[in-house]
Amino acid sequence: MTGLLGSDQIKALASEESVRGVLVCMVLEQAEGADSDEMKLLEQALQLLLSRFQAMQGDAS
Amino acid sequence: MILRSIEMESFGKFHGQTIEFRRGMNLVIGPNETGKSTIAEAVPAVLFGTDRLERYKPWGRNACSASLFFEGGGRTIQVKRNLVTDEVELVERDDLYQPLSQFSGKAPLRGRSSSCREYRELLESLLGVADEKLFRATYFFGHQPQEWTGDELAQKLRTLVSGTAEVDYADILDSLLDEHFSLTRSNPWGRDKQRDREYEDVCRELENHGPADTVPVFVEIDDSIENKGQIEALSAELVNDRLEYEKGLRYVEHVRSRQTTISEINPRTVVEAPSAAGPAGPDDICKQLAAAGLPEDPPSNLVELLAAAAEIRQEMSSLQQPYAALGNREKKIPGVPWTALLSVSVLLALVTGAAWWRQLYPLPVSVFSGTVVALLSGWCGWRFKLNRKARAECKTERGRLDQKKSAIQQRQAELSERCEALGLPSSPIDLVRLQKLVSSNRELLESYWARPVAEHSVDDVAVHVEPRPPEQIEAAGSVEEDAPDEELQEMEARLAEFAAEINRKEGRLQKLSRQLENLASSRAAGTGGNHTALQKRKHELESRITVLRKAINLLAGAVDEFSRSHLVRLNHEAGKLFAKITAGRYAEIRLDENMVPSVLVDRRRWMPAESFSKGTVDALYLALRIALTKIRDDGRTLPLMLDDPFVHLDQRRLATALNMVDLASADGQLVLFSHNLELGKRAARERWHVVPLDGSADDTRTSVEGGEHAGQLHLL
Repeated sequence: MTGLLGSDQIKALASEESVRGVLVCMVLEQAEGADSDEMKLLEQALQLLLSRFQAMQGDAS
Repeated sequence: MILRSIEMESFGKFHGQTIEFRRGMNLVIGPNETGKSTIAEAVPAVLFGTDRLERYKPWGRNACSASLFFEGGGRTIQVKRNLVTDEVELVERDDLYQPLSQFSGKAPLRGRSSSCREYRELLESLLGVADEKLFRATYFFGHQPQEWTGDELAQKLRTLVSGTAEVDYADILDSLLDEHFSLTRSNPWGRDKQRDREYEDVCRELENHGPADTVPVFVEIDDSIENKGQIEALSAELVNDRLEYEKGLRYVEHVRSRQTTISEINPRTVVEAPSAAGPAGPDDICKQLAAAGLPEDPPSNLVELLAAAAEIRQEMSSLQQPYAALGNREKKIPGVPWTALLSVSVLLALVTGAAWWRQLYPLPVSVFSGTVVALLSGWCGWRFKLNRKARAECKTERGRLDQKKSAIQQRQAELSERCEALGLPSSPIDLVRLQKLVSSNRELLESYWARPVAEHSVDDVAVHVEPRPPEQIEAAGSVEEDAPDEELQEMEARLAEFAAEINRKEGRLQKLSRQLENLASSRAAGTGGNHTALQKRKHELESRITVLRKAINLLAGAVDEFSRSHLVRLNHEAGKLFAKITAGRYAEIRLDENMVPSVLVDRRRWMPAESFSKGTVDALYLALRIALTKIRDDGRTLPLMLDDPFVHLDQRRLATALNMVDLASADGQLVLFSHNLELGKRAARERWHVVPLDGSADDTRTSVEGGEHAGQLHLL
């Protein structure tokens, strides 16, 4: 797995005992049997979600 | 694992000071601005780095460093960080002080290097946390609101389980749904599906436009202007006029040929007078030729030369396809796998040799090897023959094509020489350009060539003077008498007028055609551009909607999964702690899918948290926080840092809250930072470890160096 889903940051997030960690785990599981289109969609969706986590944190702080 | 000490060489207002902690309850006490928050912040700053270095770097110094010492399970972990350079040294030692694992290198807060990765992996394995935000969400417990109102408690809990300190996953879900809802009415999650959104508007607009490639540009032009009808009528008129004009020309030529003498006969002069270009002097025509980009003195065989050039170009271009086909054919010629044959032969020879040496079926092995090598050699030979034959054919074909190409190039060279001799450009590109100019100015050129020979340049005379056919000379001898000169002149004048009329009509036709072309191109550009933009926007919206739907489903699924996998354990752990804090009065806690807590009362009724007193809700929240921390740290139990969490509580509630905290600390380590000096008495009574801060660095050092109970003595 390459790109965002293969990154160390994602692997680290997947080990978190949190909603974010469970989310990353689910994406990685779905990516296992995904074709290239589905993989791209998963990456885009995960990127959007993680950016929302970050962006909203920025708003709040 | 407990935090044994924080050593601040140079961190904020602390220089060379060490703050020690113990298992259980620790109280860091002091008035405002004495450095309580700085000590609390030193923990994540050393572990993960900080982006607020200026806040902790002492004024006037370019140094900022601190160390943390953790202890537990017969191991010690020391983490030292230079916050200016982000150089980190981490050493894990056993009880004999032997290093078990260590790291030394740069690890900034948002670093992505392999060094950072290695450090975070080690941190994760040793302390169970490698993310600063998750650490804050798990181990930091800040000021609490004076009253929990409405959904506040649930929102705070949702934020904590989200994995960050300040983000509520429900807010993210809502923001994604809002964005999806703003793009399309096709909404699987309910809400208003009646009103069209941007996606539906774009689709409808695209339908109104119709497909881009079938946009009938001319139909639209017909609707807006009537140019096309005028053009068609004018074109039809011109066709008829030209036919009539040619008839007239032929008749006049016929009459003139009968009237004029041999010396006066030059049929081209008849053409010249009523020419479509109108009567013009030789200088005017030359000027017009020059203005049109043509040679001022075009040779009469210009058209023939250009036709020859076009033919050469066509022949040259017709060679491209055979050359390309030949190239492909050459590429497809199969090669001969000599290397494979050699390898297999060597291998089989080795096998055969081994068989003979070992006497393991030497004869069958030899026969088999020989057969295989023979077959392979035969196959390779056959392929080699095919290969050689195909290459020979290709070579012959290439030679034939080269020969043809040379012949064409020779003709091209001859043509270039002829052109240069006539003062014409010789390159193929210039000849193509010249041919276009000749086609568009054919009438002008014909007028030039139709002029009497005397008007032509001396060089050109040889080209234009053609020997008259004998029959024409004979016919010229008998002049027709039935048409007098006046009548002929009148006919010529009428033809000239007719030619002028045709010229005017042609001018008008050209003008209308130009208008039509401009209009068509502008309409096509406008309509096509708009259509393309709409298509692009539609694709963008579709792609965004797809990503949003996927993200919403993923997050909703993750929340469900988290609820299934974690909530039962969280409820259980929090319930145990809550029962301890409330002396068994409330034994069970339940969190629903929205993280809204309720408490079991009298072992019968579930009551929402907001129906309890503030003290009970505080206790509930603390129990949930500690339970969540316990689940997250997977038994490694880092200290929970409470930074004045009970600042809003009155004395009675504060006492209750401190009881809770005291009870909660029994299983691990709590560090309570407070400005309330009254807590000192409680600390002495409960034998908490106290770290007093009064703004003096020396005092802090003394209290630490004075032993485990020095803080309490100081306060007492």
